[in-house]
Amino acid sequence: MDRRLPPREGEWIDRSQPVEFRFEGQSLAGFAGDVLSSALWAHDVRLQGRSFKYHRPRGLYSLAGHDANVIVEDGRRTNMRGDLLPITDGLDVYSVNTSGGLQRDRWRIMERFDRFLPVGFYYKAFHTPRWLFPHYENQMRQVAGLGRVHPGNAAVETPKDYAFCDLLVVGAGPAGLAGAIAAAEQGLKVLLVDEQPHPGGSLNWQWSGNPAAQEQFGGMLEQVRAHDNIELRCGTQAAGAYNDYWIALVDDRRLTKLRAKAMLVATGCFEQPAVFQNNDLPGVMLASAAQRLLQLYAVKPFDRAVVVAANSDGYRAALDLHGAGVEIAAIADLRHDGEPTGLAQNAADAGIEILAGCAIAEAVPSGGKARIQAAAVCPLEKDGSLRTGSLRRIECDGIAMSVGWSPNVGLAYQAGGRFRYAEHVAQLVPSSLPDGLFVSGRANGRFELHDQIADGRRAGLCAAAHLGRFDGNLPDSPQHQASPPSHPYPIFSNNGKKNFVDLDEDLHLADFKNAHQEGYDNIELVKRFTTVGMGPSQGKLSNSNAIRILARLNGASINETGTTTSRPFYQPVRISHLAGRRFHPQRRTPLDGWHRQHGAEMMHAGAWMRPEFYTTSGSTRDECILAEAKNVREHVGLIDVGTLGKILVCGPDAARFLEHIYTGRFEKQKVGRLRYGVACDETGVIIEDGVIARLAEDRFYVSATSSGAAVFYREMQRWALIFGMKVTLINATGHLAAMNLAGPKSREVLAGLTDADLSPDAFPYVGVKEATVAGARAIVMRVGFVGELGYEIHVPASQGWHVWTSLMEAGRPHNIRPFGVEAQRLLRLEKGHLIVGQDTDALTHPFEADVAWAIGKDKPFFIGSRSLDIVKQQSLDRKLVGLSFPAHRSGPLPQECCLIIHEGEIVGRITSIAPASTLGHPIAMAFLRPDLANVGAKVTIRTTDGRTADAEVAAMPFYDPDGARQK
Amino acid sequence: MKILNCPINGPRPLQEFHFGGELRPNPLDRKDGADADWADYVFNRDGEPGVKREWWYHIPSGTWFIAERDNVTDQFQRTYLYGAEQTDG
Amino acid sequence: MPYRLLKYALHKDHPEPRMFRAPERLKEEYDAVIIGGGGHGLGAAYYLAKEHGITSVAVLEKGYIGGGGTGRNTAIVRSNYLTPEGARFYQESVDLFRDLSREFNFNLFYSERGHFTLAHSPASLNTQRWRAEVNKHLGIDSEVVDRAFIKKTVPEIDLDAGGHQAPIYGALYHPPGAIARHDAVAWGYARGADQRGAEIHQQTAVTGVEVRDGEVAGVHTDKGFIKTRKVLSAVAGWTTSITRMVGLRTPLVIHPLQALVTEPLKPWLNSIVVSASLHLYMSQSSRGELVAGASLDPYELISMRSTLDFAEGMSAGMLDLFPFLGDVKILRQWAGLCDMTPDFSPIMGTTPIKGFYIDAGWGTWGFKATPVSGKTMAWTMANDHDHELIKAFNLSRFGRFQLVGEKGAASVGH
Repeated sequence: MDRRLPPREGEWIDRSQPVEFRFEGQSLAGFAGDVLSSALWAHDVRLQGRSFKYHRPRGLYSLAGHDANVIVEDGRRTNMRGDLLPITDGLDVYSVNTSGGLQRDRWRIMERFDRFLPVGFYYKAFHTPRWLFPHYENQMRQVAGLGRVHPGNAAVETPKDYAFCDLLVVGAGPAGLAGAIAAAEQGLKVLLVDEQPHPGGSLNWQWSGNPAAQEQFGGMLEQVRAHDNIELRCGTQAAGAYNDYWIALVDDRRLTKLRAKAMLVATGCFEQPAVFQNNDLPGVMLASAAQRLLQLYAVKPFDRAVVVAANSDGYRAALDLHGAGVEIAAIADLRHDGEPTGLAQNAADAGIEILAGCAIAEAVPSGGKARIQAAAVCPLEKDGSLRTGSLRRIECDGIAMSVGWSPNVGLAYQAGGRFRYAEHVAQLVPSSLPDGLFVSGRANGRFELHDQIADGRRAGLCAAAHLGRFDGNLPDSPQHQASPPSHPYPIFSNNGKKNFVDLDEDLHLADFKNAHQEGYDNIELVKRFTTVGMGPSQGKLSNSNAIRILARLNGASINETGTTTSRPFYQPVRISHLAGRRFHPQRRTPLDGWHRQHGAEMMHAGAWMRPEFYTTSGSTRDECILAEAKNVREHVGLIDVGTLGKILVCGPDAARFLEHIYTGRFEKQKVGRLRYGVACDETGVIIEDGVIARLAEDRFYVSATSSGAAVFYREMQRWALIFGMKVTLINATGHLAAMNLAGPKSREVLAGLTDADLSPDAFPYVGVKEATVAGARAIVMRVGFVGELGYEIHVPASQGWHVWTSLMEAGRPHNIRPFGVEAQRLLRLEKGHLIVGQDTDALTHPFEADVAWAIGKDKPFFIGSRSLDIVKQQSLDRKLVGLSFPAHRSGPLPQECCLIIHEGEIVGRITSIAPASTLGHPIAMAFLRPDLANVGAKVTIRTTDGRTADAEVAAMPFYDPDGARQK
Repeated sequence: MKILNCPINGPRPLQEFHFGGELRPNPLDRKDGADADWADYVFNRDGEPGVKREWWYHIPSGTWFIAERDNVTDQFQRTYLYGAEQTDG
Repeated sequence: MPYRLLKYALHKDHPEPRMFRAPERLKEEYDAVIIGGGGHGLGAAYYLAKEHGITSVAVLEKGYIGGGGTGRNTAIVRSNYLTPEGARFYQESVDLFRDLSREFNFNLFYSERGHFTLAHSPASLNTQRWRAEVNKHLGIDSEVVDRAFIKKTVPEIDLDAGGHQAPIYGALYHPPGAIARHDAVAWGYARGADQRGAEIHQQTAVTGVEVRDGEVAGVHTDKGFIKTRKVLSAVAGWTTSITRMVGLRTPLVIHPLQALVTEPLKPWLNSIVVSASLHLYMSQSSRGELVAGASLDPYELISMRSTLDFAEGMSAGMLDLFPFLGDVKILRQWAGLCDMTPDFSPIMGTTPIKGFYIDAGWGTWGFKATPVSGKTMAWTMANDHDHELIKAFNLSRFGRFQLVGEKGAASVGH
């Protein structure tokens, strides 16, 4: 049956563009501009979804995305709302959460068990015997949940956008349009957004029979479109408001992050349902939904309807429907006095029976409950309860509910607005708004069209005044004068069940009474226990009634009962929109390309990429690493150390400053010499180590760990301020390339490329020179990290490649090989050098790490010194030691962080281990209880598989203990 | 996202800043006290609700400064360079 | 259909009594006053009555029970901690949790899902191994697993994190890792405490704690003064407001931690997945929502506002691990408060003020400690000295420079 009406003025469908789509396997046609629910209803497909818990038949309800009755998936996308999903050619969707299809859904049997499943039933059972719970939980998980995910879906990378404006106006209805115009006229740059595909808000469907309103609408729209200061974006929801008017705007394609200076919330209201038996079945809908269906999509909602009304809007809806050929069987007016305006007479003139002081007690379902066949209308007692003895059955296929509104002010709440219940409108209105936030229109309790427009204009001018663009008199806007547009308690029980308060969660009136009886009598407890408002539509149609119910149960006012808070998002937002393109910055040294060209296996090292080792065909990873290390010991190797932090410390106080930062002494350090430095935090924990080179009396060049450099530099800057010292700090980490040439042949390799005198007397161990290397200005340092003769060469980043390749070329006769991070780790372990962060942890102090020698004698102060004075008095409970494993051994080797066990207790932990070393046997560094740590003592380490490995405490360094080779 | 007024760079989005904790006394002024006083200085913090003086760091420009902020409302009240308490930010 | 549900079908009226009474007014005096009606405070009241016979107890809650950290966390329970002190403590919690539904006769939906802590670097894998080895030593079920094991258990995961991030090298796998209905834990303790005689006063704010000569003498509330000689502060993110009342200095700083939830989906994710590198942990609730949380917000704040940065970062991390989730929609975001300590371990037990006990420093790990905290704090209050399991967590450890190294290895990659 076709319910599509002839073309209507202002309809949103484009009849020139027919669209073919499929729903539950059935081919159907609609028009461009239709949403799924409107196109289905046009074919009289009323059963469009199933409810979450009882699998009750559901149809369209708000037609504005305020409910979650109709949720579909298409095998790729999931959880799409039927009343928000535009139909497109080829759309092929199925209802979520059914077993065997929407019509025959096997889970509809759940409704038969409703008496077993009261509110919170899952707290009351299934937990004993304990072993059965996983079985029950699994079954419950299967029936819960809505749509399916599709692990085969490819990642979607969605660019984000940014926008800026003076005033964001949310909602392009009467108040929003008027506000935007008023603000723009004062020179504000206005961004006006509306979630619907067309501007106008309620002007599109609520006032469509009113020629004066339509003329005003047309006029305002023309002004908005013509005004240079207004940008109008439709199909755009303001999804969340964050600090300082940082707003998430979401449209179909992307997230736009907007920085506004002020915000005007003109978002109108959510129409609220009445609560009565079977108020959820297809055919029962909000009057606004019926009007939207009629005016926007030109679909005849019903053939014969009963309107339940508690305000003028209901009469307007009845007249609209009547005008479109719907037979209005009756208006059941909850108010004993009926409608005070002339609309009552208009309805009477149209032949509509008006039943004042009556409610609907029940929507009478047809077989299968996919439709309704009648409304049971019932007179109300003065106290608002049903006089159930006098039920009158009125045949109808539709019930339109117009009993009240709830302001759509989540965004204003998030921006800091607070609200109170006002009796004159029987809804929440703003009680306090922070600077820059304005609310107008129905969201501000203004319901008459001219009031809404006046209020929008007021708010627009207030925003202009707030931003210093208007200093005239700010107009007042008239308060709502007529009877309240919302009924204070549109909730009716005729002792039957299935009078739904929350359709998302299948909560009916009794659930609230029962929860209250159990002591969940605070709105937040009610919410958490019943899950009201927790479903996909986030309580847009349920929170208001839930509060009214709770207030009555508590015998308290609405304001005493309180409201629940509002959190982003207004409507659910796709993860891909929020994730965007997922930028993760990565740092590469100037030599990165060379490594990749030469077979380097690259590894992530914090933000950096570094060569782990260089692959050689026919060799395993471990063989490659050992070969690189041996080549350094026997010949010469070159490693990229460009990731090291490089900090210049300059100024008259530079040496004194470093004495504060590091544990060691620097005042008497000679120019041209290096010192090793350890830095602690204020608690005495080691945070950094590095080499400090004195380039001049007032100029030091400091290296820091790759991952710690940025933070170390930042903290040095702060300490310089606190100490009030004359120092300048420059973080040159990214400015310079750095490489370490190491091995017995390194002097010969470098000699031909530099103007520096490399003779041991002129350039001894721990010397530093500024020189040229391969023509580039360089800082050259004689360091010994890997334990061989070596030169660390720092050159401008732009020269790095040239210097590196020059060294490789010069080293060719000497068997030079590049080596990676792993070989370096092995070589330094052989030398007993610790790595901060690997061989130390978040609590390690210098005494434990055995670097107390790096603490300057009799220093009055360094950061952490006072704490170390205290720690020093305490007995050590662990100490960093070397461990040596026999060369010929069987059984597993421990890995890093395996534990040392003594008499059943944890007495230590491996911090670094080399399964193979140039020494011919495995070595390790470990924390160990000091009483067990004498050189030569045997220790037992538990391997990850629970076996044990034996090792011996060894003196460090393992290799070249006298340091002869690096001199 | 909040906007924070860097005394050098003006108002910038909070993402450009690093929070450096509460403004604490110079350790040089505290180091000669008793062990217990030092431990109190090192570990304890004034984490109570209220307006706090805090270190903030503008990352792109490497600028440390002091901000006075209400740690309940998250409102920044003033910002100024270290040692320039008299100057309004 | 379980037999227990029959009674609902057979009774005309809802056959459930109030879970706890709503006392009209405060008494003049209690043996003990507990500030904070979250899981910890209610747990302490429960165990005080159940195990120590102390029933003259008032729990004072300025809002509603379970409305703070208890109702705002992502409901993960695990015991795979780094230090023996931590691991033993949380293991006791897990043991209590497992039996709690039966003990309460209230289903907490305690669901053992298995817990993966992903390592995106060799250094991070080392830290996970450290945890695993300590755990195994204490009899806790943890193991470092390789990529193949992760892929087999969570086939939907992208082990290379989309190429956007360092790949996953392995993980710490902790089979007993569980999720539970967090609110229900508070309700269960409330009901149990109430049945044993404790009073729960909601909407009752503490305005001061009376200390005379170094001893607790009473508590001032917005509903009047009550005499007591024992006060427990169990208010987590609001601790600094209470310690101010008694002049106690602590290392606590408060940071928000944010979380979000998606629309309900059919079940697909059984495990709990945590990635410290991506600042992300997520699981799928029994209702079908994906529940995901982040690391702490980067600055101190005693407010539960949401940020867009969080939602963006969390979404990016979720797609790095599960690239097909792009079309899934986020329903709601929220925040809770974390009272952080320098060593990521709680502050529990006696204080320099006689009769004033503290249960704080709950950072991001408070929910999982609910039962054991209630139990050990009750013991500590009853005996006026620290329970064995919490000795290491006493506030005095900072003065002694005896921190508990739960902060772990500063997992840096060189």
